[in-house]
Amino acid sequence: MEQAGHLVVAGFPLALDRRYHVGTHMWVLLSEPGQARIGMDPLGIETSGTLAELSFVPVGTELIAGRPFGQLEAAKFVGPLVSPVSGIVLAVNDAAAIDAALTVRDPYGAGWLIEVSLSDAAGELPALLADPDEITTWFAAKIADYRRMGVIAQ
Amino acid sequence: MVAHQLSLLPAAGPAARTSPEYVRISMASAIALRMRSGRFSRDFELGGINLLLNYDEGCRSDCGYCGLARTRPGSFEDKSFIRVEWPLVATDDLVERMARFEPALTRICISMVTHGRAYRDTCDITRRITARVRTPISILVAPPTLRRERLENFRSIGVDMIGIGLDAVTEELFRTIRTEVPAGGLKWDRYWEVVTDAREIFGPWKLNVHTLVGLGETDQDLLSLFVALRDRQIFSYLFCFNPEPDSRMAAQPKPSLQRWRRVQLARYLIETEGYDLEQFSFDCNGGLARVQAGRSAIETVVATGSAFMTNGCPGGNGEPGCTRPYGSYRAAEPFRDYPFVPAASDLEEIRQQLSLDDVVK
Repeated sequence: MEQAGHLVVAGFPLALDRRYHVGTHMWVLLSEPGQARIGMDPLGIETSGTLAELSFVPVGTELIAGRPFGQLEAAKFVGPLVSPVSGIVLAVNDAAAIDAALTVRDPYGAGWLIEVSLSDAAGELPALLADPDEITTWFAAKIADYRRMGVIAQ
Repeated sequence: MVAHQLSLLPAAGPAARTSPEYVRISMASAIALRMRSGRFSRDFELGGINLLLNYDEGCRSDCGYCGLARTRPGSFEDKSFIRVEWPLVATDDLVERMARFEPALTRICISMVTHGRAYRDTCDITRRITARVRTPISILVAPPTLRRERLENFRSIGVDMIGIGLDAVTEELFRTIRTEVPAGGLKWDRYWEVVTDAREIFGPWKLNVHTLVGLGETDQDLLSLFVALRDRQIFSYLFCFNPEPDSRMAAQPKPSLQRWRRVQLARYLIETEGYDLEQFSFDCNGGLARVQAGRSAIETVVATGSAFMTNGCPGGNGEPGCTRPYGSYRAAEPFRDYPFVPAASDLEEIRQQLSLDDVVK
């Protein structure tokens, strides 16, 4: 769970020690064999607006990649937290559920969202971005997109 | 996470962060002007910018339902207004942003608070805005700070419309919630004097009176007021009571969606379709029991969705101008008023919430 290989892209911190799902801004950090911690990258958080509340499905819930495992509510936005992988929920971050700002302050560390026992690691993990150069390129492009859309403060 | 956010304030002491040099803006306005990151759950354009005067001492009124109430715990700096944070920004930076985004703006509204400097500072801020942008300006006035000459001056410096936050729709409710409270003192009669003066000075359909649903009034109270205002060519704007944590009315529930939708529909029928009070009947508790109209006529109104949109001052071309998205409900809750024309799926929900079978033959 070490946070190594961080850099800053256009003002946003980016951790290169994990995988990313490009459609959902979720990161996946492999921990124990067959297990992963999931969180949201700071760009996904920032563009949602001022975070108000995070809620998660109960521990033990079966997840399907592409389906919600919880909900994010911001000042003027609400949306699902979409799982990038399939598996069983082993833990949820109660601290983030109590204080959503924790996820804002430390999106790659203490602000993680859930831990999962992966059911199809071999099939699903290759679809996530893992190469640092690819991650950085994707992240920079998304920032530019969001600036054009007007959802990032200027 | 902080470095890329616009620095909203210079490094000045808190004492310097008051109007007219600083104002608060609604979170939706801050997002629209790109002063804060974020987006809306649904895709729509937002052109209505809402400003709120800011003072260290806060608002000198003490209304039981308001997040800014004088005796509500916490400093004014930390208080929410309509439950969400209102970012504090430098007025000149804000005006610069307004000028930059002027083509997208539809309405600017300055909300006064009850404070000794409010009138002077509202004039100052209005002049700064009108010097740079042509978007129509409304002022939601604080009646205790005004007299007729001041309303006339608002008009002379370019204010287009006046809003008056009556909120409590009967004299009795007003007295118990806004007058006879720990640090209250607002006067029902004074509010109506300002209504009369503003109506005379600004003309027909240039004045609006805010009414808050859920403070303890009956449907009959509300509809009676809607008719009276319509007859004076004054808009009635609906707001939904939304309990502010730690306010004196924090434990009071919001009105049900069914009641809210029916009041929205009735208000629209009165103001836009010309219905009179005789076309509504009420139960022994003053609740709306029946609308005396053909089902098809009501269905036609419902189908446009207009009755359920935010009541707000129009844009320069008559389009919805001030739409206050998620202004009286959380983004995770069902829409109370829609900041856009409701879509077919929204109308389906609205029809279920209305349960028209109970009130229309």
